Amino acid sequence: MHALLEVKDVTKSYFENGKEFKVLDLVRFDLAERDFVCVVGPSGCGKSTLLRIIVGLDKPTSGAVLFEGEPIRADNPQVAMVFQSFALFPWLTVQQNVEIGLEAKGTPPEERHRIARKFIDAVGLTGFEDAFPRELSGGMKQRVGIARALAIEPLLLCMDEPFSSLDPLTAQNLRDEILQLWANPDLPPKAVLMVTHAIEEAVYLADRVIVLSSRPGRMIAELEIDLPRPRNRKEPEFYGWVDEIYSLIV
Amino acid sequence: MRATVRGLRRWFRYVAGVLILAGIVAAIAAPQATLNALQLPLLALFSTSRMVVAYLLSLVFAIAYGHTAATNKRAAVVLLPLLDVLQSIPILGFFPAALVFFVATFHGHPIGIELAVVFLIFTSMSWNMAFGVYESLTTIPQDLEAAAASFGLTGWLRFRHLAFPAAIPKLVYNSILSWTNGWFFLVASEIFTAGGTEFQRPGLGAFIAIAGRNGDTASIAIGIGVLAAVVLALDIFLWRPLGAYSERFRMETVTGREIPRVPSPYERFRWLPRLPGVRHWILTRLQPIAAGYHRLSLRFERAYSGHPKVIKDVRRIDLALFIVVFVLVVSTGLIGLVQMFLRPLPPAAALLPSAALLSFSRLLLAYGIALAWTIPVAAFLGESERASRYLTPVLELFASLPATALLPVIIGFALVVTTSFGSAAQLAAILIALFSMQWYLLFNLIAGVRSIPDDLKEAARSFGLRGRTYWRRLLLPAITPSLLTGSITAWGAGWNALIVSEYIQYANRPFEVPGLGSLLNHAVFDPVPDSEMLLLTILAMIVVVLAMNKLLWRPLYRRASHRFRLEV
Amino acid sequence: MSNSGEGVGRTGGVTDFHPIAKVSVGQILGLVEAIDEVGGLADVATISQEVDMDLDRLGPILGAAEFLGLVTVEDGDVRITDLSRKLLHANVRERKAIVRDIIDDVPVFHLITDMARKAGRPLSRQEILEALSARVGSHQAEDLFKALVYWGRYVELVRYDSQSELLTLRTPSK
Repeated sequence: MHALLEVKDVTKSYFENGKEFKVLDLVRFDLAERDFVCVVGPSGCGKSTLLRIIVGLDKPTSGAVLFEGEPIRADNPQVAMVFQSFALFPWLTVQQNVEIGLEAKGTPPEERHRIARKFIDAVGLTGFEDAFPRELSGGMKQRVGIARALAIEPLLLCMDEPFSSLDPLTAQNLRDEILQLWANPDLPPKAVLMVTHAIEEAVYLADRVIVLSSRPGRMIAELEIDLPRPRNRKEPEFYGWVDEIYSLIV
Repeated sequence: MRATVRGLRRWFRYVAGVLILAGIVAAIAAPQATLNALQLPLLALFSTSRMVVAYLLSLVFAIAYGHTAATNKRAAVVLLPLLDVLQSIPILGFFPAALVFFVATFHGHPIGIELAVVFLIFTSMSWNMAFGVYESLTTIPQDLEAAAASFGLTGWLRFRHLAFPAAIPKLVYNSILSWTNGWFFLVASEIFTAGGTEFQRPGLGAFIAIAGRNGDTASIAIGIGVLAAVVLALDIFLWRPLGAYSERFRMETVTGREIPRVPSPYERFRWLPRLPGVRHWILTRLQPIAAGYHRLSLRFERAYSGHPKVIKDVRRIDLALFIVVFVLVVSTGLIGLVQMFLRPLPPAAALLPSAALLSFSRLLLAYGIALAWTIPVAAFLGESERASRYLTPVLELFASLPATALLPVIIGFALVVTTSFGSAAQLAAILIALFSMQWYLLFNLIAGVRSIPDDLKEAARSFGLRGRTYWRRLLLPAITPSLLTGSITAWGAGWNALIVSEYIQYANRPFEVPGLGSLLNHAVFDPVPDSEMLLLTILAMIVVVLAMNKLLWRPLYRRASHRFRLEV
Repeated sequence: MSNSGEGVGRTGGVTDFHPIAKVSVGQILGLVEAIDEVGGLADVATISQEVDMDLDRLGPILGAAEFLGLVTVEDGDVRITDLSRKLLHANVRERKAIVRDIIDDVPVFHLITDMARKAGRPLSRQEILEALSARVGSHQAEDLFKALVYWGRYVELVRYDSQSELLTLRTPSK
């Protein structure tokens, strides 16, 4: 059985003035269904670039990314992305934003509305369907981003530092809700790949943490976090993990 | 809705009152003129429809051109410099093309002249709109582009949901500018003489120009009044609501803070977006077509992606064809130019450098005068909320009057004030340049003053900064970027205005001053048009404008926006 | 911070909506979760350190949580209530229902819903602002209006169209 996602020795370099700037170096890992994986590393270690390559928005200089055994395409409908800056269309309502992926797929309007409403409800935004992004708080905007990603019912949800623009309380609240959504077998996605620079967040959320070094991003470690959920940040095992990852990076 | 109507009624009371008063005065003073004037509504309709047609053409052009330049890197290499050049060609430079093409093709039939006029107005409207579209599309936040790509928005859907909405704010803003430009040239182009023949189309511009020729002041006044009313009506019923509507499409900053909006006294005129019925009707008609197109393009995409080699070959052929055509066009143009230069230059060509210098110094003088009054006024209006509420509508009314319509008035004034025809012509040329330049400066400066954050002003005040130090340390540096933006546009308008300001027909005699504009006029309109001089003068103008842009404005702007940026 | 241990401080006048005016549901829930994580009781300074937010930002959120009856504050100590425990274990829909019951009783919310019901047609933003200004002054009315729309939408009792600026009542989806 193929893993859902296979990242095979991905390397990414930029060439400027004849010099090579390596951003990622031989990153290799797999993702299976029901995985929740976080990629952590210091700023500038290329983790956002890695995510973009996985989603298909960018091409690796060498190496490959396989999704269900096939090379990924740019608008792979099985993978959806959530952005740090929310990336909502300011001129569309919440409902229209959530429907956008479905519209691109050519889903008929009735069906679109139904699916969108379902996921707007799942993220707790019922009542705000007609609101515009500028009327929403940061946390709500990210919920729209999540609903939009889920609406195309992807197998893999990719998140690029989704909570770093939010205040700590809202971020924590949203983290728990993401876990709830992921744990719900009736809802997509099957797997989540998240990139973050907040190590506590990674330990709180993930089954596996992949640690990248600073530029060029090289895999330092792949750790399995076997703490039961819900995890408590006060527990010694928890911050034991956090300390270990910190020491790996520094 | 009620508030809207109330606001409208108040404005209309003002305007109607003024117009009626003027009408009564004119009717008493000049009954013959009033009879003439009764045809004005029809003439207004003609002029406005020409503007609308030209505008729609410009809109389509701007979107197509800007979108291509923004999405196709290869094409942008050619398209952007080309647009730069096109923008610096004086409108009059297009006249010969218009004449030859339209008028000659239709053998002097009115339809040819109409097309020529529309074409000329188009050239005065489209370039800045195309730039606006290009700028909007290239400043879309990266994440939004990535989101659109990752959710599969391509082709029509990408245009409809990403590119077009992103371009709307700048499009609306530039449309307003374009219309101002357009009115300016409409008035000048509805009646012109070429190769000894006079071409004329019925419209407000022709009406005012003929009245000016005959020295019929009453008709001039009425004509200008009607023009002002039309411009004002468009402003109230179209541009203000559109401007308010386009707010919805502005991008927020990443931190989620909303861009502070300059409060506009017309914000209540938002009834245009409240025509959901009309919008819905239009959309429901467009939707099936667009959806069908989208399905078709999806099918094409899928078919193409199955044959990558064919696509590559097609692309190579396409590139080859493009290069061939491009090389042909450029080489024929270059050969023609070289041939022209190899021939002995026309004697008039010797006048070019001095003409350029004279025109430049006239513009410089006008620019200086404009600065002298706009900076203090902008400072005053930017600081005092109340003054700006009352004065801004008045100023905007004046600003929307094309200076060409005021030509007869300006000449008349100049004649009164000066002793000789020569100096009257000089004064008139400077005044017209002034009138075309000052509004761009003023409104940019006002926006600049308003955008100074309040806490900076408070800090300055708390440290006791006042008078000259306040100006030197806070006000002037803070408004420098806006000053530069305004100056660039103002000078562009000034160069364009040269054409009408250096050679004027009034009361059956020409008022002329030496300069690039009058050289151009002669080259086009003399009984024996001189195409070589025309080309040379246009070249000279392009060179000067481009030189100023590249060597003066751009570097200044870069330095200023770096040093005087308001965010810390 | 008030000292009411019994229920919710809803005995005040129209201004009592103010505590939740600028706070979002996510923030309140996040606060409750944070206190729950340290055992359900903590002093304000500790909370501030835990969530890495200074008192300026934390204050309104604490006030809102107290207003909704989710925490009690006594002598600088914050304790979560049974209601908040119920909230923490509820799913998204149930949370809304709980908050809805609380909001529904707030006088100023009532004021607007009664106004809408009596008028029998959508209310314009202007009308509501005028009604609110009469009670709290025009400066606060704007904030209050935004809060009403936000919470009203959240508990699905209100629909608001920001283009036409019209507010209508609705029944929550089941």
